[in-house]
Amino acid sequence: MLEASDLMVFYENNLALNNVHIRCDHNQIVGVFGANSAGKSTLMHALSGIVLDMQKKEMMAGGERITVAGSVRYQEKEVMTVSPSRRAKMGIVLCPERRRIFKESTVLENLKIGGYLASPAQARETLAYVFDVFPTLARLKNRIGGFLSGGEQQMLAIGRALMAQPKILLLDEPLLGLSPLMQAMLMRTTREIRDQRKIAIIVTEQYARPVFPIVDYAFILENGSAVLEGTREALMDNPDVRSAYFGV
Amino acid sequence: MEILIYGTINSVALALYALGFALVYGICRLPNFAHGALYVLSGFIAWTMINTFGSNLLVAVVATLLVTGIIGAVIYRLFLIRVRGMEISEIIASYAIALAILEGLRWGGFKGMTYTLPVFIEGSVTIGGISVDYQRILVVVVGAALVAFLWLFTHYTRVGLALRGMAQDERAALMLGIDSDMMAVVAMGMGSMLAAFAAILLLPLGNIVVESGYNVLILAIAVCIVGGIGSWMGAVLAAFLIGFAQILTVVYLGSHYQMMVALLAIILTLILKPSGLFGQQKELEERV
Ligand SMILES: Nc1ncnc2c1ncn2[C@@H]1O[C@H](COP(=O)(O)OP(=O)(O)O)[C@@H](O)[C@H]1O
Ligand SMILES: [Mg+2]
Repeated sequence: MLEASDLMVFYENNLALNNVHIRCDHNQIVGVFGANSAGKSTLMHALSGIVLDMQKKEMMAGGERITVAGSVRYQEKEVMTVSPSRRAKMGIVLCPERRRIFKESTVLENLKIGGYLASPAQARETLAYVFDVFPTLARLKNRIGGFLSGGEQQMLAIGRALMAQPKILLLDEPLLGLSPLMQAMLMRTTREIRDQRKIAIIVTEQYARPVFPIVDYAFILENGSAVLEGTREALMDNPDVRSAYFGV
Repeated sequence: MEILIYGTINSVALALYALGFALVYGICRLPNFAHGALYVLSGFIAWTMINTFGSNLLVAVVATLLVTGIIGAVIYRLFLIRVRGMEISEIIASYAIALAILEGLRWGGFKGMTYTLPVFIEGSVTIGGISVDYQRILVVVVGAALVAFLWLFTHYTRVGLALRGMAQDERAALMLGIDSDMMAVVAMGMGSMLAAFAAILLLPLGNIVVESGYNVLILAIAVCIVGGIGSWMGAVLAAFLIGFAQILTVVYLGSHYQMMVALLAIILTLILKPSGLFGQQKELEERV
């Protein structure tokens, strides 16, 4: 349903993504693993179109030149030049690295802002669903976002993204800085969300271990290139992958 | 008693001057230096509607609000969008637009003391031994209603909530499908409409003169700086602080010190607490 090919992104002359090809099918969970600065966030920005916004802002401010090339196809359509807000409307929703929740608004307001693209009926239904899968958020719904713990903020960020009615959800390092217990809980819920909402999910992470149990297919990024890919089983059996990403 | 009544009226007037400026800055981080010019321009639009086209007051009011809102949105869409995100350029560009509007009006013959807008209701009441005309009471009532309306709008409507999201993290809002360019046009249109509201309510109390465009801008900036930029409650409270301080100086020192109070307030705030009285944004950042 979402497929990127020959994707290249340059920050000035620094090649952040080099000829990357990845795809994610309907109802699939795809993992993208790579060390720090391997290009995971750049990939997510290219898929969601945020890179176009970065490009525009940098150009206006006379900052660095960002160059993007290649193709991103979504539901049989080329979306490479489609603006990020239009892509969100089409169903590609990014839940960004470091969560970026609205820190001065309450939990409930964060979710309502997330529901900007939803019809009133959809917003009501999704809000009830988010409170159902993340009961913690229901309990904290009048708490100011900035006062939540890291795990609570991540739940809120995922819930807020769900409010935007994604067909494919992009999760950029959702487990960063969380306890193993919280990581396991979030991954279980992520799979539950895929099963119940029938959406596709791409999730990036530095360490594969907590994410691996829920992915159907995975790509390994190194220095901006997708060096390896395969189903969960195939990658599990690869000794290089095991030593590099599982610390075995 | 006199101080209480006139202090309140003056404070609400300041809040009205500042509301639109605060809204646009709070949401788009755009210091709209054309705010005062839009205020004066809307006064002349209303005057033209009434005196040239002979429309009745209500029609003139509605038309002025709409036209000014559209002018603000167009100014943003055509000019300010190009310098988006660069505050110095935004200030220079919007100030250039202000000069063009104000000096254009002066050149077009709108000068002198001959232009006035009619009050909504003639007459006055006596409160605690002080006679207050109805227009000034209307200023307070409508001012309070506008603040309440804006609060409800930004807390309970889809677009209002989106504007608040954008104010906090534009890119995160973009990820949720909130088109920041379009929202900025909306915010600028609303901010301009608020300038028109202020003009329609406050200009009947005096003459429409081009110079007040500069004064309104300075007062709006003073209120926003003292209140802590981006904080609405702060702006309202700052309006009262400066409003009463002005009336007190008028009573005890003389009326020509009034503008000094606003400028002094800016300087004192920048020296003592640069984030403003209620710069809560900063505090929250530090906590996280
Ligand atoms: N805005 C930017 N400007 C310049 N270089 C950047 C920018 N964002 C990322 N990079 C560079 O691109 C590479 C990939 O970064 P990123 O996509 O953030 O990796 P990851 O998310 O995997 O940590 C890194 O070398 C990083 O330094
Ligand atoms: Mg990253």
